Amino acid sequence: MWQPLTDWHQSKYREFTAFVARTVAPCAEQWDRDQRIPDAVIAELAQCGYLGATLPREYGGQGWDVVTFGLLNDAFGRGSSALTGVLTVQAMVSMALLKWGTAEQKRTWLPPLAKGEVIGAFALTEPGAGSAMHSLVTEVTEHDGGLVLNGSKRWISCGQFAGVFLVFGTLGQRAVACVVPREAPGVRVTPICDLMGFRAAGLAELHFKDVAVPAANLVGKAGFALSHVAPVGLHYGRISTACSALGLLRGCFEESVAYAAVRKIADQTVGDLGMVRSLIAHMGTDLEAGTLLCHNACRAEDGHLPEAFEQTLMAKYFTSRAAVRAASDAVQIRGASGCHGSSPVSRYYRDAKIMEIIEGTTQVHEDILGKMFVARAGKVGTPTRSA
Amino acid sequence: MSARDPNAVKTTIRSFILSSIAVMDLDDDANLFESGIVNSLFAVQLMTFIEKTFAIEMGMDDLDIENFKSLNATTGFVLRRNGGPGG
Repeated sequence: MWQPLTDWHQSKYREFTAFVARTVAPCAEQWDRDQRIPDAVIAELAQCGYLGATLPREYGGQGWDVVTFGLLNDAFGRGSSALTGVLTVQAMVSMALLKWGTAEQKRTWLPPLAKGEVIGAFALTEPGAGSAMHSLVTEVTEHDGGLVLNGSKRWISCGQFAGVFLVFGTLGQRAVACVVPREAPGVRVTPICDLMGFRAAGLAELHFKDVAVPAANLVGKAGFALSHVAPVGLHYGRISTACSALGLLRGCFEESVAYAAVRKIADQTVGDLGMVRSLIAHMGTDLEAGTLLCHNACRAEDGHLPEAFEQTLMAKYFTSRAAVRAASDAVQIRGASGCHGSSPVSRYYRDAKIMEIIEGTTQVHEDILGKMFVARAGKVGTPTRSA
Repeated sequence: MSARDPNAVKTTIRSFILSSIAVMDLDDDANLFESGIVNSLFAVQLMTFIEKTFAIEMGMDDLDIENFKSLNATTGFVLRRNGGPGG
């Protein structure tokens, strides 16, 4: 667990881990096989206030700080990456609306999101636009004083069961974001099944055919959807994913050391083997480093510091890659039993790879971070002058 | 630092921008977003910096590229929001 934490943070972390041990861990394999999280589990998350963790109390949220939100995702990531994905996406939609929504949008949407009465989905990715956000082709047009959407979205987490979508598209040459209720005529949802990991996260394709919504559903101003609205959502998505990957890494470490301590090979344990100790040493050190990176990122966001974006990128970049390494090694340590659903490490192995792709791929993170580091280390080029 | 002193505000913002981009110096009217010198996170980092440093809560109504396109534009925005000489 993260140190130093206040007594309150430690208390909340114990609450979260107890919830996961009781409600999540025993069922995560079954959800993975069923490719579905039962509605009752989502309802229990809502009942505990976990779906409104970061929203202010005035909107019915918990008003928790980001460190607590990180601890929530860490604890849940140990149990089920797919279920943690619900926390991720709910925060992405909620925080984008909190920052850029109109007073009316906040009054309308934030209370049901905070209470978990409605699940949100962040509809950004398209068949032809993933990392290249500026390639969006979902078209938004103005018609009779309202907006009309046409286009498709793909790989949308929680799309199968979300009640409201934050949809990104283009209005003429300007990027826009707007709120689209699931029940709007012309919305069609197609489940995406048989994913490698995150199998229970309810991924879907969303199709919009002449979907009419009021102009008042526009979030932020036209032209600012990709520069200001999406980055706020993606930032919280990265905080959540970084901490969820940390939880998965923690799971790999705990499963591995427990197995290594008791599994016998002839007259010694697996943990007596130097090669296995090496794998566990890497895992444990990555766990400590990832913990510190996540902690720093959450604290920076709590301090509303501009460097929070950079620190979150580093945390997500590090923990997602470390989770992939740890999951691979955890399977290796367990051998055949690690390849079977009777051990969570086989699911960790599949889920971990997804963490390297969502909310910006590892390569996108490297591109942004590399550019930042170079800019800081040495100024290049000639002074910029106005024309 | 007074959030109503134009020179102090501009110096503070300049320092932040230069810490974020790969150039040695910055013309007061250079367009930050058309020059290609900023990364995809710069807009929200600048927003967060302004909110934190000058105690300004930005919302949808502030989303206007004229408010942030250059050092001078950003300085003017901060001064207007704080009731200083730019307002």
